[in-house]
Formats: sequence, C-alpha cells, structure tokens
Amino acid sequence: MSDTAPSLTARQPRAIHSALTVLEAVAALGPGTTAREISDALGMPRATAYRLLNLLVQDEFLVRTPDLSGFALGAKVVHLAAAAAPVHVPRAAHAVLSRVRGQVRGGIHLIMYVEGRVVIADVDPDFPLSDPVRLTREPEHYALGRLLLLEREGLDTVAREELERYGVVRRETAASGCLAAPIRDDDGALAGALAYSGPPRRIADPTEVAAVLVATAAELGPLLT
Amino acid sequence: MTALERAIARPDPVHDFAARSPLHGLERRSVGFADVLAQSVAAVAPTAAATTVILLVAGAAGGATVLAVALATLLALLVGWTVNQFARRLAASGSLYTYAARGLGPAAGLATAAAIVVGYAFISVFALLGGAHYLSLLLTRIVPGVPAPVLSVAALAGEAAVLAVVLVRGIRLSARVALVVEAVSVALVVTLLVVLLVHIGPLQPAALWPTGPGGLSVSALAAGAVLALTAFVGFESSATLGVEARAPLRNIPRAIVWTVLVAGSLYLLAAYTQVAGFAAVGRDLVASEAPIDELSSVFGLGGWAAAADVGIAASFLACALASTTALTRVLFALGRDGVGPALLGRTHARHRTPIGAVAVAVPVIVAVPLALVAGGIRPWDAMEAVIVISAVGYIVAYAIVCVAAPVFLRRIGETTARAAVVAIAAAVAIAACLAVYLVVEAQLGNPGVVISLTLAVAAGALIAWRLRRGAPSLDGVGGYDEPVAAQVLGGVARGDG
Repeated sequence: MSDTAPSLTARQPRAIHSALTVLEAVAALGPGTTAREISDALGMPRATAYRLLNLLVQDEFLVRTPDLSGFALGAKVVHLAAAAAPVHVPRAAHAVLSRVRGQVRGGIHLIMYVEGRVVIADVDPDFPLSDPVRLTREPEHYALGRLLLLEREGLDTVAREELERYGVVRRETAASGCLAAPIRDDDGALAGALAYSGPPRRIADPTEVAAVLVATAAELGPLLT
Repeated sequence: MTALERAIARPDPVHDFAARSPLHGLERRSVGFADVLAQSVAAVAPTAAATTVILLVAGAAGGATVLAVALATLLALLVGWTVNQFARRLAASGSLYTYAARGLGPAAGLATAAAIVVGYAFISVFALLGGAHYLSLLLTRIVPGVPAPVLSVAALAGEAAVLAVVLVRGIRLSARVALVVEAVSVALVVTLLVVLLVHIGPLQPAALWPTGPGGLSVSALAAGAVLALTAFVGFESSATLGVEARAPLRNIPRAIVWTVLVAGSLYLLAAYTQVAGFAAVGRDLVASEAPIDELSSVFGLGGWAAAADVGIAASFLACALASTTALTRVLFALGRDGVGPALLGRTHARHRTPIGAVAVAVPVIVAVPLALVAGGIRPWDAMEAVIVISAVGYIVAYAIVCVAAPVFLRRIGETTARAAVVAIAAAVAIAACLAVYLVVEAQLGNPGVVISLTLAVAAGALIAWRLRRGAPSLDGVGGYDEPVAAQVLGGVARGDG
C-alpha cells in the first residue's frame, strides 16, 4: 500500500520478462504505436498486453500520447541502462568532497545531470539520502531538481531569486531542508550540483553554507567536466 | 543491440508532447497513497453514513437490510471498476467530467460536469449542516442558555473558517486533516460496533436474511439497496487529485476500490449490529431515532456513544473539506478547459492551490447553509432535502461515465469483453437506481426531488445554450494532465522545433 517503488515477489520474473518484451516492442514500433499493434506484434493476448501497458504507464516507463491511444517510451527507461553505469567521480574530486564534509555540519552530496536526469554520483556516507529513488523519480521535491528545472524551463521565479541572491537553490520541509549549488562546465552549461542537507535553521539563513557550496562547486567544475 | 538499447543510447526526437501540462500550477505529485485514500474516504464520510443511512435502509428494506447493503457494495464496486478504466489511463482534476468528455464528447462532458458539481456542492452543504448540528449539540453542553439558531450560525462560521484556511493552504494540509480525522472516527465507530457485537452475542442468521412472512421482497430490497448506495457516493472523489497525487495512475484506482471496500465493510458491520442488536433487545429498529446511541445506552455504553458523536462531527467536517476540495478541482478543470470563466483556472503562486475556484466555490458553499439556518430552518431538516439533490447529482454522473467507458475503450482500441460487460451492467443498474431513488424520495414527499429535477432542467438549458453558442471554443473540453516532453524519451516540446 505504499507509493514508493513496487517490490518484487518470487512469482514475478516472468512478468518482468513480459514487461521488457513490451518495452522492446514499443522501441521497435516507434512512438505512437497502439495497444493493439503491440499485442499483435508480440502475439500476446489482448487483455495481458493492455494490463502490462497500463502497469508500465503507471510507473512512467511508458507514456500515453496526448490522444491516449498511442504509447511512447518514457524518459525513465534510461534508468534501466543508467543503473548499470554509475557516474565516475575522479579521485581529485573525492578529495575535495571529503575536505568539505569535514568543514560543514550536515550532508554533502554530489549529483550529476546526465541527459536531463538526476544521477546520484557521490552520497555523504555519514548522512545518507533519505529516499534516493524519490530523488531520481520526483526531482522537483528537492533543491537539486528545482535547480535542474530552473535551468531547463526557467519558470521557477523563487528559485531564480535564490540563485541570484545566495548562489544556491533551496528546498525546505518541516524537519529538514536542502541547498543546491550549480556545477558548470567551461561553457557555463549545468553539469551537476553540489547539495547540502541539514537542519531547517541553516536552510532559512543559508548565507554561511551557501558560500562554502559555491566555492566548492567552482572548484569541482574543472575536475568533473 | 536491441531496439530498446538503441532507443536509450540514441533517442529519436518525439514531438507529440507539450512543455507543460494544461493543468500546470497545482502542487504536482505531492500527496501519497494514504492521503489520496483519505480524500475519497472523507468524501464518503462512512462513520456518519454508517450511523444514519443504515436506519433509512432498514425503513425501506426491513429484514433484507444487510442484504441491501451487500448489494449496494457490489454495485459501488462495479461503478468503481468502470471509473478506474479511466483513472488507470489518464490523470485529471476534472474526474468524472473529464472522463465522460473523453468517452462521449463535450455535451456528455458538460452534463456530467453539471451533475458532479451539484453532487459535490450539495454534499459539502450537507456536511457543513451536519457538522453544525453536532457542534451546536456540543456547544449547548458548554454554554447552556444560548438559542439554538445562534449556536448553529456560530458553528457554521467556525467550520467556514477552517474550510477556507485549509483549502487555500494546500492539498497536503487538507489531505492530512482528512486522513487523521477519518482514521480516528472510523476507529471510534468500529470499536463501538465491535463492543456492541460482543454484548449482542453469537451470530444471528435471521439478521442476515429475511425470514418472516412473505420472505424476500424484491421491491423492498431494491429500495433499500438504492438508499444504501447513497452512502457510498463520493468514493470516486480521489480522481480529482489526478494532478496532485503521486503515481496517480496507480494510486487513484487503488484508492477508489479501497474506499468502496472500507465503506462497504463498515456498513455491513453497522447494519448487522443494528439489526441484530434491536432484535436481541426486542425493539423496533425503524422506530428508533438514533439507533447506535439507543443500543449503546441499552448495553450501558452511553459514554462511548458521546465519543462517537465527536467522531461523527469531525467526520462531517472532513467530508465538507474533501467534497469542497473535489468541487474546486472540477471547477478548476472547467476553467482551464475554456468551459467556465478563466478565473476558475487560476492557481495560487505560492500555495499552488486552485485559488480562483476556491474563491468562487467556498463563499457559495458557506452562504447556503448560513442562509438556511439564519432563516430559521433547523440544520437536520434542511439536510434531508440537500442529501437527495446531491445523491441525484452523483448518480447521474456515475451513469454517464459508465456509458462513456466502453465507448472510450473502443476509441483508444483497448476494449476487453470483461470491461465492457462490467460497464454496461453498472450503467443499467445505476440508471435503475436513479429511477427507484426518485420514486422512493418522491413518495416520502422530499422537496429535494423537485429541486433536483428543476436543477436538471436548468443545467440542460444552460448546456444547450453553451453548445449552440459554440464560442469560446469547446475544443479544450476533456483536457487532462498530459505527460510533458521531459517525461518522454527523446521528448522535444511541441513548438520548439
């Protein structure tokens, strides 16, 4: 009854196989392919194909086209490939992260943006992320994701003001909060972010932590891009 | 390299999707399954219904009360499964309105919109009145000597303040309030019922199946089942959180089915307890005014009943919150679709709530019960007519959506025999229910029947006028929370080239 990632039971490997077959079919048939075309292509009973398609849409591995009759691969299928290929963090960058973790009270995390997705590159071992799956699924609930969305869509005026004022984007909840400072490549494009998670007090007045994050992010840029 | 690996490595650009949803501006994907479930459960207000509607069912169905409740549960499940054909496939805030429009086009969509707006609005008024009734009972004990209408107005004003604050502050707060209130009030009533059952003793088969002279009367069973069905209305209301729920295509269908199961179990328990309890003490259930209170005092549990009353008052308030939440989401969708004024589609920049719809709906929802009570009508009397108008609205909307489901599935090429059979069975049963319900209430002389028929004629005329006028365009009818380009592999927003 939770809304996090569904868990596996022993009976499910066959279902996973079928689901991957459906994803393959959508990839082969191209965006806009219909449920009937997919079930025909796979020789799969209609009801089974419809159920699998709906499950894959629920988990956003597939999306329905706006007229609802066709299917396209969701951006989330990249996770299937990304899970096997973590981001490489150079030793020099590790050294910088360790040094900052010694200076700041709270968690310091490094994430990279790969093709518009949030990829967790290095998590603070002393302050692990509360829900890494949710961070990659629903980045808009985190400072990291708001930074990415701001860069991509530019709609979030609050985040923009924060970025201009402190050099970081904030996200506050009742119990804790996070800050994210952009890491940019030589061309100024967003390559990743350095995030801080800690008590609300330090998020409400981020000046002190933000200064450290911004300086470190500038240092990390050339090492990571 | 497989087709999937190739697609991931080098995605082809897909241009079918927009950069943002037509329903942007709400707090997207912010409430989880428990809160979504609470929205539906609160809108049904099962604790209030378990203690009041069962009495009405008993009046109509006699010995077949438990059977009638079981039949109504089954029917609600059929409707729920049919609604889920839509809820599994598209996330929307217009719920039944959007679904009907997707299946049958603008005219059916607008008719459903009118019906469900009446349903949500009048149930909100009903719940505010119910809350005021119970709150003023409590207030009488605290400040004796104040005239009843003054207390009712004070209680309504208090409720209105809570309603306004919670709706403006956002879905997470309102869903959480509903969750806590429903969890506590369901627990209270279930505990009371179980304690009563222990006092009543071993299972009585006679309470489950009509024995006596004449045996099972089909007409009595049908009338009872229809009245019991009105205790389920609102179970679909979590579908209005399509934009705000996390994983809506999974969580909303689940919440709808679970709400029917939770409410159905509670009603079956309440029905059996009341029928068997009154049989055990040799009294007439139908003649009772407050059966649970009466049973509790017979078995020496008077204090428990008072606690349950507090639970019921809170449950009414949660119902008002949840129903107004649903109402504002439907109005918001109508505003965004170009059916209603654009004001309805406005959202609050910081709280990300449909502030335009809240500003229009809340004053009306609050003014109606205030005017009634200030006009000297007792809350309890007004509620009888108000609930009928609301139930007619819901049932009409369910009927249209059940007809729309098979058409919709055919349109998108996903018809299955089972889905079609369930939808058609639900449509026929629900249409029959509407007819029986109107006849039963008309025979009782309930003014709600005439008012709902008048509202239906007015809505019909309004819709005919809107369709003839044709402007502004009705092309936007049935807009839903479409996936955005960023969610699509290789997605490039429409218009970005």
